[in-house]
Amino acid sequence: MELQISNLNKTYSNGVQALKDVSLTIPQGMFGLLGPNGAGKSSLMRTLATLQEADSGSITLGDIDILKNKSKVREILGYLPQEFGVYPKITSYDMLNHIAKLKGISNKGERKDLVESLLNKTNLWHVRNKSLGTYSGGMKQRFGIAQALIGDPRLIIVDEPTAGLDPAERVRFHNLLSEIGENTIVILSTHIVEDISNLCQNMAIICLGEVVAQGNPNDLTKNVVGKIWTKAIEKSELDTYQNEMQVISTHLKAGQTIIHVLSDEKPHSSFKKGAANLEDVYFAEITTRMETVSA
Amino acid sequence: MFKEIFLFEIKYRFKRPATWAYFGILLVFGLFFSIGGNGPASEKVFVNSPTAIATMLSVISIFGIMLSSAIMGVPVYRDIEHKTENYYFSYPITEKGYLMGRFFGSMFVLLLVSLGLHAGLIIGFQIGPYAGFVEPERFTDFNLWWYLQPTLALYWTNFFFAGCIFFTLVSMTKKVMLAYAGGAILFITYLVTNTLTQDIEAKDLVSLLDPFGLGTFNNVTRYWTPEEQNTLTVPFDGMIIWNRLLWVGLGVILFLYTLFRFDFQRFLNKNFGKIKKKKEAKQSHSNAALIKIPSVTKHFSSALNIKLLFSLAFLEFKNIIRDNFFKAILAAGVAFLFFDAWFGFPNYGTPSLPLTYYMLEVKDFTYVILIFILIVFMTGEVLHRERGVRYDQIFGSMPLPNRIVYGSKFLALALVAFVLVNLVLVSGVFNQIIKGYYNFEFGKYFTDLYLIEYPRYIIFIMMAFFVHSIVSKKFMGHVIAIAIWIFLFGLNNFAEINNNLYLYGYSAGYTLSDMNGFGHFGKSLFWFRFYWLTCGAFLTFIGYLFWKRGTDSGRKARFQIAKRRFRGATLVSIITALILWIGSGFYINYNTKTLNYYANSDAGTMNAVEYEKTLSKYAKIHQPKIIDVKVNADLLPKERSATITTNFIMVNKSDQPIDSLHLNWGGKSSFKKKMDKFLIDNQKPVLEKEFEKFGYQIYKLPKTMQPNDTVSMVLTVSRYFEGFPNEGSGSQIVYNGTFLNNGYFPSFGYDSAGEVSSDQDRKKHNLPIKDYSLPEQNDEWGTSNLLFNNDADYITFEGTVSTDLDQIAIMPGILQKEWEENGRKYYHYKMTGELDFFYNISSARYDVLREVWTGENGEKVNIEIFHHPTHKYNLDKFVKGVKHSLDYFSKNYSPYQYKQMRIIEFPRYSTFAQSFPNTVPYAESFGWVGDFSDPEDLDYVYMVTSHEVAHQWWGHQITPSATRGSNQISESMAEYSSLMVMKKEYGIDAMQDFLKRELDSYLRGRANEGKFEKTLLDNDSQQYVWYRKGGLILYGLQDLIGEDTLNSGFKKFMEDAKFRQKAPFATSTEWYSYMKSVTPDSLQYYLEDSFEKITIYNNKVKNATYKKISDTEYEVTLEVESAKNYFGGNGKLLETGEKPNVIEIAVFDRDTKNEMGMTTKVPLFLEKRWIKPGISTFTFTTDKIPVKAGIDPYNKLIDRIPDDNLKIVELEE
Repeated sequence: MELQISNLNKTYSNGVQALKDVSLTIPQGMFGLLGPNGAGKSSLMRTLATLQEADSGSITLGDIDILKNKSKVREILGYLPQEFGVYPKITSYDMLNHIAKLKGISNKGERKDLVESLLNKTNLWHVRNKSLGTYSGGMKQRFGIAQALIGDPRLIIVDEPTAGLDPAERVRFHNLLSEIGENTIVILSTHIVEDISNLCQNMAIICLGEVVAQGNPNDLTKNVVGKIWTKAIEKSELDTYQNEMQVISTHLKAGQTIIHVLSDEKPHSSFKKGAANLEDVYFAEITTRMETVSA
Repeated sequence: MFKEIFLFEIKYRFKRPATWAYFGILLVFGLFFSIGGNGPASEKVFVNSPTAIATMLSVISIFGIMLSSAIMGVPVYRDIEHKTENYYFSYPITEKGYLMGRFFGSMFVLLLVSLGLHAGLIIGFQIGPYAGFVEPERFTDFNLWWYLQPTLALYWTNFFFAGCIFFTLVSMTKKVMLAYAGGAILFITYLVTNTLTQDIEAKDLVSLLDPFGLGTFNNVTRYWTPEEQNTLTVPFDGMIIWNRLLWVGLGVILFLYTLFRFDFQRFLNKNFGKIKKKKEAKQSHSNAALIKIPSVTKHFSSALNIKLLFSLAFLEFKNIIRDNFFKAILAAGVAFLFFDAWFGFPNYGTPSLPLTYYMLEVKDFTYVILIFILIVFMTGEVLHRERGVRYDQIFGSMPLPNRIVYGSKFLALALVAFVLVNLVLVSGVFNQIIKGYYNFEFGKYFTDLYLIEYPRYIIFIMMAFFVHSIVSKKFMGHVIAIAIWIFLFGLNNFAEINNNLYLYGYSAGYTLSDMNGFGHFGKSLFWFRFYWLTCGAFLTFIGYLFWKRGTDSGRKARFQIAKRRFRGATLVSIITALILWIGSGFYINYNTKTLNYYANSDAGTMNAVEYEKTLSKYAKIHQPKIIDVKVNADLLPKERSATITTNFIMVNKSDQPIDSLHLNWGGKSSFKKKMDKFLIDNQKPVLEKEFEKFGYQIYKLPKTMQPNDTVSMVLTVSRYFEGFPNEGSGSQIVYNGTFLNNGYFPSFGYDSAGEVSSDQDRKKHNLPIKDYSLPEQNDEWGTSNLLFNNDADYITFEGTVSTDLDQIAIMPGILQKEWEENGRKYYHYKMTGELDFFYNISSARYDVLREVWTGENGEKVNIEIFHHPTHKYNLDKFVKGVKHSLDYFSKNYSPYQYKQMRIIEFPRYSTFAQSFPNTVPYAESFGWVGDFSDPEDLDYVYMVTSHEVAHQWWGHQITPSATRGSNQISESMAEYSSLMVMKKEYGIDAMQDFLKRELDSYLRGRANEGKFEKTLLDNDSQQYVWYRKGGLILYGLQDLIGEDTLNSGFKKFMEDAKFRQKAPFATSTEWYSYMKSVTPDSLQYYLEDSFEKITIYNNKVKNATYKKISDTEYEVTLEVESAKNYFGGNGKLLETGEKPNVIEIAVFDRDTKNEMGMTTKVPLFLEKRWIKPGISTFTFTTDKIPVKAGIDPYNKLIDRIPDDNLKIVELEE
């Protein structure tokens, strides 16, 4: 089964064009969606999760037309939105059980096993009888993950799932995802590049509603190998460099500003060759575009 | 800092569309009231008179609670809602600066928004004169003060007070829901104080406690005449000041409390005010990684969907009933149900027994308003449940079909509604048990609640569902849903649009009766419910199309979704609902308009105008007079029809020849008629002319009648009902409890009673103003016709009536014979002596109580009480009333003219008692089921019975002429007579309660007068004059000149005028002359003041003190102020009386109870004195410690403020 997105467009009523002619092919396994804030990741994911209409274009999952046959999609969907709330006065156990019922698991015994295993998997077992209102941010997020995994979903959409999780929980979650991702389509959106390179076989970078790159993270990285140059500079010099060459990112290291420059040739002798990674690909793709907008 | 927050708040608000929407709504209301003349002003009051403006402002300010909660509930909550509190409070601002900035900013906006109403009114009153809804003369010039004064005194203070409450509630609890709940509670407090107003004694308390000052305002202005309403603004003194101080003060205190209590840290604490249980569960590190998520089987089937539908509905249902807001409003609702039922249904302040229909009717008092609000709010909650906790995205992506989610929410509310109807039952039965009434009629409860009321709630839900599905903002949805309802209410009540087909959820009214059960209302109710249910279903389906699932709230996207949903089963459902709705609408329209006559009030007026313009040329033409009537009536109660044949004998009593007979059947009505046979002297008369629209026919008599010629006439008429009307009980013929009067036959000639009387309407339609409906006292036509019916003077009567086997049918006269034939029951009656042409036919399943009254000379009168078998509660009071009345009247006026006196119960479709010769029909809910267990309550059965029996003399022995003032001979005299009978039985103290009630009715009546107040001598239309003023004045007169003296005059009048065979018949001039003749010269002023003028006293005690002289001697000094003012009919002060008047002054001991358990005054000193207007001081000694003292302490005079006539006597230092 494969998820095909072709020429998807969406403009909100306030005039913002969230998706511009988005076309993607998403095979089974983990798929990462990378993009800056406001790039259209959530819009795309909400559309995939049947919560939003598209103006034009099509999405098919195997032989299901997602835009038209929402109910079929929902039967095999697991969705964790970026922001969500919970009923404060119900326990996680009851809520998961309720959701399992809604997701068509009518066998009581199966439901019980499933809910219990999910509570364990997400490390919520010890608080299963506490009402959701008392949960901390991380616990709530884990609950969100648990609910998304109910009912053997074939398509899992998780929007920034690790936001608010501590490092240990993040690892645990990644393990969980990759475990599931073997025979399922898992779409994961994040702006943490490292997550994608660790987890995903396929990915896409979205910027300003457009898909600007897609493919295997390693393949994408290969494209910039040898083109990344770095240099430690004074902060005051940044402007000059930005004007003269394509500075794709800056970061601080021991108080000094390190810039990454994308260039086929060594821009200056003072530059050192950088070890290209996915982050450079990401910044290479978005920096120019974002600048055009902000300029 | 305060300034910045304050200004930010205002700027923020001005950018919110809601702010402008609220302003706009008020503006529209203002325009609606002003342009359409839909305000509270009566006809002689300018629509923009100061009192009308003040009333509108204060009434709207009560609905403004919603606005206050919307604007004042959110300024602090906003920081929670938008999660800005975490950083906002970290800024260098103080709690006080923050709160005051938010508070005053919002209050400023609230007060500004509230001016939308003023804008609407001011603009509307400028447009009004040109808009044509109201005559231009009814608008007076713009006067800013008339707006400003009530705005400051009432309108804004209400907004301020309510605003403070909501601000405090939300700031102190963080729960915005409390703003709504607080609103409801405030509204309820208001309604409670209003209920208290029913008790006349508690007025001061109401004035003080009414949080919105409307009661206070009404108590000040209730007796204001049109003249005063046109010129005076609400005086800002006395109770109004105290009331405002109390409530505004409470608002300020609440705000100050918040200001000093509020604390950022406390506010930020999640479990605000709650003690948190610090018990973290141990984190067990499980072997999570090793656990495999088990694979599961999933089923998606319609069977499962149905299961889910119910389980989701039940979950939602539980959510609703757990909601605190729901519980709060419901508790209030049930309290209302209970207390309305507990206090409800008094007549003259006396309660009724807790009958099932009473327990059921309270559901439409306050409860239904709360239920409606609850339904709107709960629908909003339910439809926004997921969005409210931001669980909507997860929930939206679940594999649940839309219809299951939407349907489950609807079902949940339907379930809630079912609980709500059952609460009526619970409250009702509970009430009955507490009151010791154990006749539980569950059949009635179930039928009314489940079959009639429950669908109505569902109809409410459907509308709310529709609105909340379309409008995606919850609060906006609430406002719109409630505005729709208020709008409908306004259309119905103020714009007089009363076609139930056009008012969502409305239906023809119905009345539940013990005698007739649910009667014939079932069919109409079924169709109207069906019509609105299908309309509601249609709306609900449309709502379904636009119902938001997911995150897209753009209009385009929602239409896109709607288009996608608009097919398959949904399409079929929508079309089916639409077809059924429209179809049933046509069917109802056919019933209400084609089969039945329907006219809104404008069309009714137009009809009457046309009637007058076309036919008034036939007014006062000579027609033969009936002298003998023989009736043959066949009643078919089950079919609701009757066929009645009457043989008349008629004489030409005029001095002119008569060649044609004018039959006036009246215009179209739901009570259909068919003339089956019409013969005059055994010949079919020729129809010369017909005005079909007005049911007016002119037949040529076979032979011209010369003066004193006699003819016979046979008329057979069928009367029946068809289909069902838009409104109206159709109570003439019902399954059990038929009550027909001689109106089933046409009258002769033009009847001016059908004319439009309102000055405003007459002007509008170019008709001359009609100040009086009857001619002057010396008019020849007037004195030669009788008031109640000018088709006959006195007649003789005989008749046979048949009815169903199990019913008893009654007509005038003594029962001669009864028999069964063809499975029907026949009764033959014959009247002894003469009666005026005014009789009735009744039929029902009766039980009869028979008693005999024996007079002083041994004459006997049979008393028969025809009552519903279970209504045995107060039969003895009826009998006692009849007996005591016969005693008093036969002794003081003349012998009783008939051999029997019958009282007949009829169903409660109307509430009155009426006196026909020897028969008094009495409505079911009037007396039969009164609860007279408290001796302090007025025994109105006794009193009204006495009044009706008195009509056998005043009305049936002396039948007044058709001249102005003459109805006082009937009504004022009957009222006086009953007062005398009651005084004899219950004593002077019971009288005072009643007289105060009469006084209140009189003063209210004149305040609402649409023309001008008439005097007792020429009043021909004003009930408050002939009953209220008449009773008070005659009571005062007998007190002044002596009961026996006055009665001697009346006895003489009776001797001279009873059964007068020839014109001139009795007039008010004649009546007045007998009173004059028995009144000493010195007291003639009272007659002039009372009968020829409009006179109002203003007596009060200024000061009352005493000095102790010895243990048996106390010197009381009483300072009183007396004034007597003469008013014109329009309420204008004409002159002030200068001469002394006879007024009682008195000193009282403590009140005691008499042997009947009634509170009585104990006078230590009581004397009539000549008291000059102005201040007078009196000194006298008593032998006991004086407690109270006063002037006119028994309220025998007409006094604008009767409550200041008595004062506690204080010990002089």
